[in-house]
Amino acid sequence: MSNSDDRTQTVSGKAAEASSTNKPDGSSRGIIVLCFCIGLVVSLVFGWVVFPRLLYSRKQQPIDFNHSLHAGLVSNGCESCHFLRDDGTYSGTPKLAQCIDCHQDVQGNSPEEAKFVEQYVKKGIEVPWLVYARQPDCVFFSHAAHVKAAKMDCVTCHGNIGDSEHLKVYEQNRISGYSRDVEGASLIGFKKHTWDRMKMDDCSECHQKQKAVMGSVQTQKEGCFVCHK
Amino acid sequence: MKIDRRSFLSLGIGVAAGTAFSPLPWKLMDDVSIWTQNWPWTPVPAKGESTYVNSVCTLCPGSCGISVRKVDDRGVKIEGMKGHPVNQGGICALGLAGLQLLYSPDRIKTPLKRSGKRGEGKWVSISWDQAISEVAGKLKELRTGGQAHTVAGITGGGPNTLSRLFKRFLAAYGSPNFFNTPSIDNSYRLALQMMNGATPDATVGLDLENTDFILSFGCGLLDGWGSPVHMFKTNTAWRKTQARVIQIEPRLSRTAAKAYQWIPITPGSEGALALGIANVLITESLYRKDFVDNYTSGFEGVVNASGELQKGFKQHVLDNFSPKAVSEITGLDPAAITLLAREFAKAKAPIALFGRGQGKLPGSMDEALSIHALNMLMGAINQKGGIYALPTPDCQAWPAVPPDAVADSGVKEPRLDGAPSDVYSRLNQLPPAVLSGKPYPLNVLLVMEANPLYTMSNSKSVQEAFNKIPLVVSFSSFMDETAQNSDLILPNHIYLERQEDAPLPAGFSKPVISLSKAVFKPLHNTRHAGDTLILLAKGLGGSVAEALPWKDFEACLKQAMGDKMESLQKTGYWINTGAVFPDGKTTFTTPSGKFEFASSAFCPGFTPVKIEGDASYPLLMIPYDTMRLASGYTANPPFDTKILEETILLHQDGLIEINPKTAQSMGLSENDRVLLQTPRGQANVLIHLEEGIMPGVIALPRGLGHTAYDAYIAGKGVNLNGLTGPIADPLSGLDAAWGIKAKLSKA
Amino acid sequence: MKAEENHGNTKKFGMVIDLDVCTGCGSCMVACMAENNVPFRKDESDKLKSITWMRVYKLSNGKPYPETDICYLPRPCQHCEGHDGHSPCVSVCPATATDYDMQTGIVSQIYTRCFGCRYCMAACPYHARYFNWYDPVWPDGMEQYLNPDVSVRMRGVVEKCSFCIQRYQAAKDRAFMEGKTDIEESDYQTACTQACPAGAITFGDLNNPAHAVYKLKKQPNAFRLLERLGTNPKIYYLSSREWVRRAGDNYLKNEGPAKIG
Repeated sequence: MSNSDDRTQTVSGKAAEASSTNKPDGSSRGIIVLCFCIGLVVSLVFGWVVFPRLLYSRKQQPIDFNHSLHAGLVSNGCESCHFLRDDGTYSGTPKLAQCIDCHQDVQGNSPEEAKFVEQYVKKGIEVPWLVYARQPDCVFFSHAAHVKAAKMDCVTCHGNIGDSEHLKVYEQNRISGYSRDVEGASLIGFKKHTWDRMKMDDCSECHQKQKAVMGSVQTQKEGCFVCHK
Repeated sequence: MKIDRRSFLSLGIGVAAGTAFSPLPWKLMDDVSIWTQNWPWTPVPAKGESTYVNSVCTLCPGSCGISVRKVDDRGVKIEGMKGHPVNQGGICALGLAGLQLLYSPDRIKTPLKRSGKRGEGKWVSISWDQAISEVAGKLKELRTGGQAHTVAGITGGGPNTLSRLFKRFLAAYGSPNFFNTPSIDNSYRLALQMMNGATPDATVGLDLENTDFILSFGCGLLDGWGSPVHMFKTNTAWRKTQARVIQIEPRLSRTAAKAYQWIPITPGSEGALALGIANVLITESLYRKDFVDNYTSGFEGVVNASGELQKGFKQHVLDNFSPKAVSEITGLDPAAITLLAREFAKAKAPIALFGRGQGKLPGSMDEALSIHALNMLMGAINQKGGIYALPTPDCQAWPAVPPDAVADSGVKEPRLDGAPSDVYSRLNQLPPAVLSGKPYPLNVLLVMEANPLYTMSNSKSVQEAFNKIPLVVSFSSFMDETAQNSDLILPNHIYLERQEDAPLPAGFSKPVISLSKAVFKPLHNTRHAGDTLILLAKGLGGSVAEALPWKDFEACLKQAMGDKMESLQKTGYWINTGAVFPDGKTTFTTPSGKFEFASSAFCPGFTPVKIEGDASYPLLMIPYDTMRLASGYTANPPFDTKILEETILLHQDGLIEINPKTAQSMGLSENDRVLLQTPRGQANVLIHLEEGIMPGVIALPRGLGHTAYDAYIAGKGVNLNGLTGPIADPLSGLDAAWGIKAKLSKA
Repeated sequence: MKAEENHGNTKKFGMVIDLDVCTGCGSCMVACMAENNVPFRKDESDKLKSITWMRVYKLSNGKPYPETDICYLPRPCQHCEGHDGHSPCVSVCPATATDYDMQTGIVSQIYTRCFGCRYCMAACPYHARYFNWYDPVWPDGMEQYLNPDVSVRMRGVVEKCSFCIQRYQAAKDRAFMEGKTDIEESDYQTACTQACPAGAITFGDLNNPAHAVYKLKKQPNAFRLLERLGTNPKIYYLSSREWVRRAGDNYLKNEGPAKIG
């Protein structure tokens, strides 16, 4: 103990010597603190404000589709257009063939509809919709299991998109290539609604709550092949 | 105010602290880890609606029903069609790989015209109009010059509407030279005609499901013989009913390995063994006397043309084929022959089958008759579990070919192969005739669904013959060896893109027609060969155009299928469920009015097929077939080459099977590189030691050694046909060869 | 309860392969490759690098001509249960990329999770795992036949037979659409089982007495590969030939084939 005390004394002695030759006065101490604060603030602003804007590229949908308007016209809610096929696979965003039933010619006076008819229907080109909720290829997601077997509402995972009048900007992560709706609007993982994020942990969270038997030997959660392919 | 080192450090610490409390590092770490998992050049197949389209596979004569899974317009998988009478849901390795043929980048995508020297591989794309008019122009010119008979057509397809149309086209044009590719089916038909009085259009029907003892003389029952998947299913059924398969061949093939008993005998002595068995059956009175006495002739004696009574089958066999005598020919113990005969006789419904390997070669007629005589002795004709003539399902007759002077005189010219009629083509006789220019030179050769430059033996002389033909037109979908050596290519749709009827599956028990559908829209600028023929006929005009009056092949097919078309389109196949085969009834059209063991025209004997090669070739090389190698018109797709054992193909080298004892005596060991020489050619191969092959015999697989197609098959292994040659059968004139003498020396 | 049946009430998918019936034709191998987007290369002679989830081996009794006998043995992933799901590969995976699912008895492999250390390949006594030494490349246009239900694997990861898990998922989806909670035996069959022209492969739930495999695995001729290692595999083989049954493990001359379980 005494040895270490001695050593401490020696070190502090040297420090005292050094500081006597170049002792910070009040103003330089202030500069040091200021520099720290500047660094802190700049990086916080960069990290919280600039970085998210840099990270995501913002893409407009080819057509500004009005969900709310269409939802009022169809009889079977979301499933009228986003239906499950007989074999249980999910049809996804509607194909031109589905839209053509009504939109062979311009119906109303929306410029977006006119654009749709002119640029896609007449030319027979499929609309390159940007799908907010698209999972990467390694994921197997069964709509049938959730909608039919578990009787979940579309809203639980997709939010109130059916009530929207305009399509929001599609934000795509420049590094991972995933949609921001999958990765989560909040960068720190803060989540208010069930539909705020659709990453593996979010699936797992709900599955752990709902299921009694967990198959995985490694993780004591659900088996990997339940959601992966 | 001065920014010193300390303040700078402080700034850095501030930045670090701020960064740590911002999402930046954490989010970046997560994103980068995801980024490492995604390899953008790895394809991501598009999702879509999944559907199944039923059709029939025409890659081999098996005619299996298939179910093609499509996702939107893409084909993603070929599966066996559930409930199809032929394959009942099963499917072979070749059929499974069909989409690799469909989507192959090496398909012929548009009509091509040769621009360099023949075989050089230089082509220019031409329009269909130009392609048709060039061929039609040349044909017209020859026809006008009275040379219509110097045009020939080869087809590899079975007896379906397309080959009937092809034959009709040539007949109307004025050529007798329509060639189909002969196989064991021809030998069965001939045997049934000669011994059982079947009509030439009847094929062989086998009630294999009800047999309990199968004496297989080298038939690769599980190596692609008959309708392959049907044979696999039947074999599994035999396991359940405890039917016994006796496999007689010098090599432990897959069939031999699965058989109840494997009996290796000297290659080429199969016919002698059959007669040896007959000898025991007669000596020990084990044959079905009631059947032989009542329904056959030629057993006791034969009255020849001049009215004298000659030795019949019985005496012939008793005199020459005692177990002891046969033992010397076959290398089999006399007691084993006797035992085998007794077992055969003991069975309730025994059957004897011929046709070595996959039955791609017609083989010796003498052997066929000797083996079929065993079926006669056991009364296995037109009986449950037996063999019978199966009539080809009748198609609606097309109107007769309109009479035309040029056509009439053209078709009366002798055929180039010397065959008496166009029922059986002696394709093996064509190259010598072309080379000699006798009886007349061949000016134009049309090749459809066939690759003779690869599949015909004695490749060198076939190539030379091709070089002498002024115009070779190929209808191939692929740049196969024949297409590569042609002048014009009028590419056909691939089987998944065209509608046609599939012929009766080989060796099936009931008459079935299946409809191959256009599962996909044509991917390229190709045309159905049937439509091309109709267009060519229109281009020629006159009586030829009148003979092919249809608007397109579909109309022609509809007329041919008649009332069957509805069922074909609905279920994909038509089966005559009403007819019972075998029906136990017979119609005798033989001269004696009975089944004939022998007649003034023939008597089953044993004249060994001469094997080419002298004493300087100490070994006997035989071909073998495997389900993993397509050896006909279709070359092996990449998947099937992938599953080839490294004992068949090692990198670019083919391997030859040899017994370790034989190899040891020659100082050869596994994977040694050797020069394989036969009287017909030579090649470099690697040694593969295999206990399951008779010493002194070496075996090479069929289906390798392509010089054309794609990079996944070309240049791999050795083409057996370059090392062998045909031997004309004295009775049928068809190729009777099976193997050739060979020698090996260290390379 | 026997060690081989400790899944309780959950499903335990497995196979019974009848080696007396299997002809070694290779249909199962191609069916598997076509279903599961397995790539191919120009030269596949090096079978250690040739990816074949299902591989047919040729066994020989080793006797000289003419006593020689051969038998073909299809080898998919054995989906070992080990003890309580600790199969050889699952135990060693440092990335949690491979896992044993007690709900199905299937050993999963998650390609995006795998970082290619290949411990699992070293651990697997059946050579059932394959490493992607090369980028998967399809000749121009041939990528059109790829199955969207199965992820294409990138270079540097390990892959193996999944018992066609995508077919299980699809079967469940179909059942949900019909308002059913469970699937029938025929609803879920692997690609190899379906394709086999000889009908040598039987697939189903080993825990379900109504399924064909339940009875078949109890046949006296049944055996499993390397029984004595304790891997507790879910592929059962049938053979009437004793030398074939003995070939399933490295038995000494005085040892008989081990009993299952």
